[in-house]
Amino acid sequence: MKNFWSTLTLNVRLGLVVGLLGLGALFIGNPSGTSGVTIDPQELARIVQTETDHVSVETLADWIIQGKADYRLIDLRSDTAFVQYHIPGAENVQLTALSGYGLLRNEKIILYSDGGIHSAQAWFLLKAREYRGVYLLLGGLEEWKEKILFPAVPANPTPDQAAAFEKRKQVSTFFGGMPLDGTRQEGEPAIAMPNPVLPAPQAAGAAPGGGPAKKKKEGC
Amino acid sequence: MIAPFYKYGLFGDFTSLIIAFLIGIGFGFFLERAGFGNARTLAAQFYFTDLRVFKVMFTAILTAMLGIFYLSWIGLLDLSLIYVSDTYLLPQIAGGLILGAGFVIGGYCPGTSAVSASTGRIDGAVYLLGMIAGLVVFAECFPLVESFYNATPMGRITLPELFQVPYGLLVFLIVIMAVGAFAGGSWVEKRMATRKGATHT
Repeated sequence: MKNFWSTLTLNVRLGLVVGLLGLGALFIGNPSGTSGVTIDPQELARIVQTETDHVSVETLADWIIQGKADYRLIDLRSDTAFVQYHIPGAENVQLTALSGYGLLRNEKIILYSDGGIHSAQAWFLLKAREYRGVYLLLGGLEEWKEKILFPAVPANPTPDQAAAFEKRKQVSTFFGGMPLDGTRQEGEPAIAMPNPVLPAPQAAGAAPGGGPAKKKKEGC
Repeated sequence: MIAPFYKYGLFGDFTSLIIAFLIGIGFGFFLERAGFGNARTLAAQFYFTDLRVFKVMFTAILTAMLGIFYLSWIGLLDLSLIYVSDTYLLPQIAGGLILGAGFVIGGYCPGTSAVSASTGRIDGAVYLLGMIAGLVVFAECFPLVESFYNATPMGRITLPELFQVPYGLLVFLIVIMAVGAFAGGSWVEKRMATRKGATHT
């Protein structure tokens, strides 16, 4: 055997080594699929306790208005609910499809569902698979409707509250919502959800749905 | 999982630039040592008399591919954090053809022209200047070509994902292809060398 090896030229030896490694790869199949799930309970508990995993609806609304594109917004509801209304820029992914969806471990991912339960469960699933930048939209779509789309003026507002409401009204109009400033009468038909397509100023910035228009400043 | 170091925050932007500089120097050094600072060597592969460039580049591809595959399998490297540039099929084919045409005409590719210029060759320096001029023209004309530049986007896609095959199978096929190409390349070289000898002398 040793004799045989010494008769080969360097090129043939290298070729044999590479061939063996290639053959090994054929049997290994998928190199990273075997890692499975790891959980650091203490770390997860700390994150939950300190609430560093939350993004408020106001913050998200600000980001969308500013045209930020450094995050991915994931809508975990059913496709019919998604088609009816979703927050601009959101991508619709079901919980069961989340692991194969092509999210990257170093991306900032914001999850939302109707309330907060599904998104919290998805948060845990992603955290367990070592996704680092996973956040919950606090209060989910319900809070988004309540605070961003249809904000209500408090009864007998103080000047401060009134000023804050003025700002909210602008945000609400931007997203096609309807501020409830007391002019609307009881018993009117329920308010229709706005079309999730954003008005003109946003369209020039990030493409809704995280389209391929954005390019990363990375690579060669 | 400890790699990629940069993505795991082991060092910051500044250190990463220093490391990139060192890797770049190393890249240039080995290109020069392989003889790629000489346009005659580079052009010889288009006449099939010297397939050195092809062999060196394929060796680099095999080394990197097997290294990434096995490091990821051992658990030292997180494959999902490796940067893969987005695929824009048609513009990238067009870009490849333009680069290839420039390679045939000028006798260099971008990296080797820098190597050649830094070893004092005039043709390499001229090529480098031409490349910079081309960059300026492209940047200034970018609005005209922008729609084509962003055409046929396929996102971040790799061959195993595209063909729905395991990574290992693709690695194996590329190894087979490379080893076959090495053997075939050596055969072609010998054949062309004798033919050239017969016709030109």
